[in-house]
Amino acid sequence: MSERTSTLRSLFASAAVAALSMVSATAGGNDPLGVAPAPVKPAATAKPGAEGGPGLAIRSSKILTAEWQGRSVVNNGVVLVKDGRIEAVGSAAETEIPEGYSVYDAGDDWVMPGLVELHCHVAGAFGLNDTVYLTNPGVRASSDVIAGNPLLRVGLAAGVTTALYLPGSGTNIGGQGVLLRTGFEEYERAIIRDPGSMKLAQAGNPERWMLRPNRSFMNWHTRNTFKRGIAYAKEWEAYEKDGGAKPTINPQFEIFRSLRKNECQVSTHTQIYQVALMTLTMVHDELGIPVFIDHGTFDTWRLGAEVEKREMFAIIGPRGIDVPTRGFINWSGSNPEKIQGCVAGYQEMGTTRIGFNTDSPVIPQEELQLQAAMGVRYGFDNKNMDAVRGLTIVPAMACGLGDAIGSIEVGKIADLLIITGDPADPRSHVKHVWQSGESVYDTKEEPRLW
Amino acid sequence: MHLRTNQQRRASRPTWLLMAASLFLAPTAFGVASVDDEPAKEAGTEDEEDKEEILALVGGEIHTGLGGVLRDATILVRDGKIEAFGYDVDVPEEAEVVDVSGLRVYPGLIAVGSFGLFGSSGSLDDSVDPYNQNMTLALAAGITTAVEGNTVAKLKRGHVDGLVVNSSAFESMSYSNGNPQGQLKVEADLKGAADYIRAYRAWEQEKKSNKEAKEPSKKGVDQQSLRVLRGEVRPRFNADTRTDLLEVARLAQRFGFRPIINGCREGWTVADELGRAGATAIVTPRTRRPKDESLLREGGSSIENASILYEHGVNVVVVPASRGISLGGIVGQDLLHLPVEAGFAIRGGLPELAGLRSITIEAARVLGVDYRIGSIELGKDADLIVTDGDLLHYQTFVQWAIVDGEIVYDKQAEMFFAHIRPRPETALAPAEKMDSGEEAPADAPEGDPEGDSEGDSEGDAEGDSEGDAEGGDDEKPVTDETSGDGGGEEPESSEEPESSEETAGESGD
Repeated sequence: MSERTSTLRSLFASAAVAALSMVSATAGGNDPLGVAPAPVKPAATAKPGAEGGPGLAIRSSKILTAEWQGRSVVNNGVVLVKDGRIEAVGSAAETEIPEGYSVYDAGDDWVMPGLVELHCHVAGAFGLNDTVYLTNPGVRASSDVIAGNPLLRVGLAAGVTTALYLPGSGTNIGGQGVLLRTGFEEYERAIIRDPGSMKLAQAGNPERWMLRPNRSFMNWHTRNTFKRGIAYAKEWEAYEKDGGAKPTINPQFEIFRSLRKNECQVSTHTQIYQVALMTLTMVHDELGIPVFIDHGTFDTWRLGAEVEKREMFAIIGPRGIDVPTRGFINWSGSNPEKIQGCVAGYQEMGTTRIGFNTDSPVIPQEELQLQAAMGVRYGFDNKNMDAVRGLTIVPAMACGLGDAIGSIEVGKIADLLIITGDPADPRSHVKHVWQSGESVYDTKEEPRLW
Repeated sequence: MHLRTNQQRRASRPTWLLMAASLFLAPTAFGVASVDDEPAKEAGTEDEEDKEEILALVGGEIHTGLGGVLRDATILVRDGKIEAFGYDVDVPEEAEVVDVSGLRVYPGLIAVGSFGLFGSSGSLDDSVDPYNQNMTLALAAGITTAVEGNTVAKLKRGHVDGLVVNSSAFESMSYSNGNPQGQLKVEADLKGAADYIRAYRAWEQEKKSNKEAKEPSKKGVDQQSLRVLRGEVRPRFNADTRTDLLEVARLAQRFGFRPIINGCREGWTVADELGRAGATAIVTPRTRRPKDESLLREGGSSIENASILYEHGVNVVVVPASRGISLGGIVGQDLLHLPVEAGFAIRGGLPELAGLRSITIEAARVLGVDYRIGSIELGKDADLIVTDGDLLHYQTFVQWAIVDGEIVYDKQAEMFFAHIRPRPETALAPAEKMDSGEEAPADAPEGDPEGDSEGDSEGDAEGDSEGDAEGGDDEKPVTDETSGDGGGEEPESSEEPESSEETAGESGD
């Protein structure tokens, strides 16, 4: 560990970055979403692909580009990486490798974008389920982060390069999640966005909160908090537009200013039809706050058509199957009608924006792909490669980073994996990971972690 | 040849016990494939009772589990045993024929640890629920034999007799660094047994010339140690840490027996010693445990454990961490996904064939039942599974499970998975192919999900063509066999619903 750490450190130290020279290939040249890592310190020799270093050309027999729509695969292709971003992607015949680029030949292995996990609890010290109030919109998971910790590191070895580290679900609003790069060990470099989301949890776990509230009160209380937060945000919006008396900052409600501007979203730990329905009707329809279904399990799939009508995202896990039971003889939970795949259910109901999550450590971080495999096993139609999208571009879009990560497209951040085959197959393993063009996991250099 | 439904076939068996049981136990839903018979029919088919039970699986891709793969071949099963398999198999007139073209046939899987599959907690001789839901689900996972307690038994759905294959699966021994006194006792016992064996052999020689020679006394000789040293049993040790594993490996080498090691988490650090000891390791590839930081040497779990052990000559058996079956929603961790667990061993570098063996023949060997089950070989029990693709691919489902030559599970006849990628010829299959006409890119990645670069050479030589077949073209399993598929199966599928209704009505009475 320590040896690797020092290797990484020196790597970072050598990440030459003429500060603020992050212009170049990206559309618009700036970084409105703040997804490029903060450069550490300038040094003489940056590695190929990294910010300020020479270019990197990755050749592979198969590149899963994973755009949201389209063919999403290039056979016998090349990906060019420069300054931490994708400079070009295309077939080997048509993509010229510029002089001076370091060539990485992946051979028969595949290249794909890094995976995006939107329900992670292993990026810190587990000190993030403070159930003080029933709603705690001011509490921040960012204060609990241990960047690059061993559990995240194993997840990285499975290809997870982006994680939304979330507060627990012991209260209706557990606090603010934080979006992290899993490949970096310094918090300043690991952080993508804080707040990454506001964590909403409905029914289930919060029912165990000290006063044992039930659902109608919880919905009232949640709505109350949202409305107060929205009113607070509106005060600021009025002030920013028309001036006047500056409102007093209220840390409890600050996040609603971001939410109102869609600079972050509500990620809902939701489960069970009736509960997920409140995510749709209350948060989305009534309050008009950007929200995605996260941790959507049990029979929430029955809402698939409603989700699609609102063009919402459904990120599903950790439970992959729902077992509707029939009849009245059901005290043991047996007597099933059939075994219904959760993501298959959403898909059958018409939802198109479907992703996967683990709720790590409930499902270990490194088994995010297995969630996709099990989705396909239990009926998710994968003929258009939607399982790969559900691990990459769909969750990236859900959390507002769809223009920066989640697919291999020109101008995007170079979070890339070398994998030995179908990413959903447990038999395939990740050999190499680049985060923002920097090599952060390489099985040629270090023992395999997963 | 004529086609018969399972229900009819089973009806010709004397199963009064089963009938009695079914009246009380079988909920309607379970009655479908397992409950049989009406007296009238029994009488009508009396002559058949004397006939042998013959089952023929025709046109499948047979994976023997030992490396052999026969395409478009036939397996003939007579009275529960594999009588013939290959290309020139004569199928007798009276055989029940199942067309498995486009599908694969494997030996049934073996779970070396389980709970709850037999619906009882006591002795399997005394109490078994042959319609237990978990038994059906385990069969759906491809498991035809499991260890419950210390008993090796078959998942012979609908039967209460003839399940037990071996009533003493494992002989446990404890030899841990944490218990030095216990270690001394084990060593003393083994030494005593070794001395006795030596003395006995000497006596055998001596008595040829000296009639007066006295047979050495068995008194005080530990019987278990004696059986171990005579090679009658292989003792099983629970050992995970490097030091414990080394202790066991050296003990085994010193006294000359082949240990079975359960756990074996840090086996990859001492694989050479374990290989020399001729060990078999029962591993859970996804075990996670960080290294003990107080030790300088490498340690902890490794995804490469199974692979490294295998490379050093250790036989590898795989079990999942959870040895029950759960419908709670978390999937991919339990016995319902035994092949997935083997998949993780392959992820770590275990060859594909060794992955298959780890849940079939190697499991049979540690249980001492490989003379009957664990592979497709002539004369072995006909415990078979028919799958719609590579067994170790996450998307593959078991279509039929066969125990002792009897079809005890049919995916399309059960409620659990029938709706997921239904077999083309069955009622649930979509009338029209949903993706017909759509130009699914010929080279879409799910077309060859195997990652042909890895390990494919072992069991399935033609990685590419196969990959295409199983890769998720759900509606068209194998292009050139699709037509044959539909035709051959029709009679059966049209009969099935009828007989289900019959039997359902039966059990209601």
